[in-house]
Amino acid sequence: MIAIVKFPGTTCEADVYKALMEAGVPTVIVKYKEFDPDKYNGVILPGGFSFGDYLRAGSIAASTETIKKVKQMAEEGKIVIGICNGFQILVESGLLKGALLPNLKLRFISKWVSLKVIRTDTVLTKGLDKKIIRMPIAHSEGRYYVDDVDYAKTNMVLQYCDENGNVSEDTNPNGSLLNIASIANEEGNVIGMMPHPERASFKLTSVDGTVDGLILLRRLGKWA
Amino acid sequence: MGLNLLPIEMDDIRKRLDREPNEIEWRVIDAVWSEHCSYKSSKIFLKSFSIDSPNVIMGIKDWQDAGAVDIGDGWAIVIKVESHNHPSAIDPFNGAATGVGGIIRDIISKGAKPIALMDMIRVGNLKIRKNVWLLKNIIAGIAAYGNSIGVPVVGGELSFDDTYNDNPLVDVAAIGIVRKDKIKPSIVDKAGLKLVLAGLTGIDGLGGASFASRKLSGEDEIGAVQIADPFAGKIILDVTLEIADKVEAIKDLGGGGLAVAVTEMANGLGAIVDIEKIPLRVKNMDPADVIISETQERMLYAVEEKNVEEVCKAFEEYEYPCSVIGEITSEPIIKFRYFGKDLVSLPTNALLEPPKFLWPIKNVRKNVEEKNVDLSLESTIYTVLSHPDLVSKEWVYSQFDYEVNTSTVVKPGDANGAVVSLPNGKLLAIKADGNPDLCSEDAYECGKGIVAEAYRNLATVGARGMVAVDHLQFGDPKKPEVYYTFVEAIRGIGEATRFFNIPIVGGKVSFYNENSQGKPIKPTPLIVMAGLVQGKLLKNRVEDSSYVVLLGYTRKELGGSLLSKIFKVPSQVPKVRLQEDLLSSEVVIDAINEEKITFAKDISRGGLAASLFNIIVHGYGVEISTKSILSDTDNVVENLFSESSGRFVILTNEPEWIVEKSRSKGIVASIIGKVNKKTSILTIDNTDYDLKTIVNNYFNFLEEVIGNG
Repeated sequence: MIAIVKFPGTTCEADVYKALMEAGVPTVIVKYKEFDPDKYNGVILPGGFSFGDYLRAGSIAASTETIKKVKQMAEEGKIVIGICNGFQILVESGLLKGALLPNLKLRFISKWVSLKVIRTDTVLTKGLDKKIIRMPIAHSEGRYYVDDVDYAKTNMVLQYCDENGNVSEDTNPNGSLLNIASIANEEGNVIGMMPHPERASFKLTSVDGTVDGLILLRRLGKWA
Repeated sequence: MGLNLLPIEMDDIRKRLDREPNEIEWRVIDAVWSEHCSYKSSKIFLKSFSIDSPNVIMGIKDWQDAGAVDIGDGWAIVIKVESHNHPSAIDPFNGAATGVGGIIRDIISKGAKPIALMDMIRVGNLKIRKNVWLLKNIIAGIAAYGNSIGVPVVGGELSFDDTYNDNPLVDVAAIGIVRKDKIKPSIVDKAGLKLVLAGLTGIDGLGGASFASRKLSGEDEIGAVQIADPFAGKIILDVTLEIADKVEAIKDLGGGGLAVAVTEMANGLGAIVDIEKIPLRVKNMDPADVIISETQERMLYAVEEKNVEEVCKAFEEYEYPCSVIGEITSEPIIKFRYFGKDLVSLPTNALLEPPKFLWPIKNVRKNVEEKNVDLSLESTIYTVLSHPDLVSKEWVYSQFDYEVNTSTVVKPGDANGAVVSLPNGKLLAIKADGNPDLCSEDAYECGKGIVAEAYRNLATVGARGMVAVDHLQFGDPKKPEVYYTFVEAIRGIGEATRFFNIPIVGGKVSFYNENSQGKPIKPTPLIVMAGLVQGKLLKNRVEDSSYVVLLGYTRKELGGSLLSKIFKVPSQVPKVRLQEDLLSSEVVIDAINEEKITFAKDISRGGLAASLFNIIVHGYGVEISTKSILSDTDNVVENLFSESSGRFVILTNEPEWIVEKSRSKGIVASIIGKVNKKTSILTIDNTDYDLKTIVNNYFNFLEEVIGNG
């Protein structure tokens, strides 16, 4: 069973739930104070504005008891996925290295992007055939930065690219280091990603008919 | 005291009370009787919108916070439109953000889950730096609030006119979804219910309702603007939907604060409120200020005593204030007490029935001397198509989280109307339309025209309009020439909605929109219409070698058009022939269901030329022959830029089918050209016009003008 944690201000919990249902992955939405890590094989921190993103995106949620429990799960090798605000919480809490800075253009950006798949050894990308996938992003603070560029190079999972897989400044929507859209720990069980796989899980709402997000989420089935 | 009440109103209340109200009572009356809250200058006419329709669950007659219609399978949609014009002129970020918060609370007042927002923004000339600042912060404010609460902004309008230089219009519409049998009223029908208030009360937005009911003074009015707290708004949203089943009535605290909310909720019964029980954001707040404060993110619930604990417990989980502040009484008097002492004691009916006004009307429209249009085709094309009204609005909508909820099927910028999926599997199309240039020429034709335009826009995705709300924005109603346009617009809207059989289930009126010299804005009524996709959905796509078919007659009626505005061409105002709008829309919907078309665009702002340009920005070229246009004029410029009603441009591979189908319905259509691969080239009667720079302008204009500046 995968838990979807709802903090006050989380907005994407129902969308992630809907997508996991579509993917056939057993899941449940849990309020942050009621979260019991022993009950689940994995946890997803969905997008939104936890605690209003007051102070700094994800920072208040990162200091809750809930996140201590999420850390414990990560150490046990269970699945921990942070999407958008969830990714911000993961870096704020130190579960993943680096920081998510305000977008270069200093405003919220919502658009569909192409993503180059770099690592295929994470719980979301294991055995993935597709080299380029499509998903929407929607954030104000998504510019990934880390001092240790080698760490970034080794651990990045997805990079913003064009439809042919070319990674360049032109395809970087927010100014992320190395066009990084997603990064994971070495073991591949803790993943943070700015793109929203749950929003690329339904044909009806997809801009081009692709459901690449669903392809990723389906992989959680065997762990759940 | 700074009251807005007229001497005649003050005499009226004295007579009804048989005494002089005290100072706090005057402030309560000022708020409850403000134009903003009481509709005293408009109510008589608004009632004319009421039509009987079997779909309507909560209509204009019910006079509640929002309207509701049945969409089948036990579901209803709730719809509402609002503006935050005055606050946005002073503090654009908070003004626009609280506009979003306010409308969302109107939707949840009905127990409905908000599923879509639309924003309709009109600002002044972007060559004036202040307008750039206003626009940038208005959009940021809407984004900050809408994104934080997880409701997608799926569409809207952005246009520019000098008339809004000092007074931008910031309109927001919202749609919610609710089980039909779970719709909550905002009014009570029995005494003894406890009044439960969620949220803290502060000193922002003092006298906001009266502030919105006069023209901007140019003096320090920041204290009347409310401050937005989207995180609190999200908690209010989540918890209200969680407890909706446990309460008898829900009311948003908006204009006029508690004074208005309590009075309207009591609905002819009475209420007692103990001010000392109201949780405050600041210490030592004047009890009178508490009554009329418009602090946001507050809701009022009427609750059976046995359910009070459970209701407040849901808020406690979020550490959000929730208190019993009073109760509904059978004696029809609204009482505000402070430690047992009556500060306000006014009869409910006196408060709910302000004097209604019929102001004098005067038509100052002059007869137009028709002139032949003598403009160079090339420069006209370039000038009109570069107009900011016609550029891509991606700079705006990319700041909105329009994908949240995973239900946005047709996204902003994709088509004339937005489409969202509903829990019963149906698809709902939504569109808002206004046309201030036409309205300033002829508010009556314009009233009809905006209803017809919204109806056509819904048809372009395969939907038929089923419900509408209206927003009427004008200058000072006491000016006869302004009030004339108000009445004319209402007559036009009323006539057209009856023709299409679309009930108007709610709306809003905003008067006193004037610039710093006291000049009223162009009359700006707008219509927000929703309808269900009838079968198949059209997602626009452009393909090489498709035929371009023009549906409907083109007429030499350029009054109120973009062409006439830019080049000051005197011309007749278009007559809106509703029959043509209805028939051509039916052809489009039929063609979508028979899968005969790949692209549909109604002809409106910028005329046929702008609709063709819409095809070209997809990376193609278009060639047309103007002789094929069925029209009452041979003048090419008139044919390309007329905005006369009832027309569509469609792309199809079976043009003859469209022509035949049209004729069978009693309307005309003609094949006027083809799509080709000559990127950015518009070919008119064998002459090529290279629109590359205009296409660049289309994609980059807003970014360049506003950018990070």
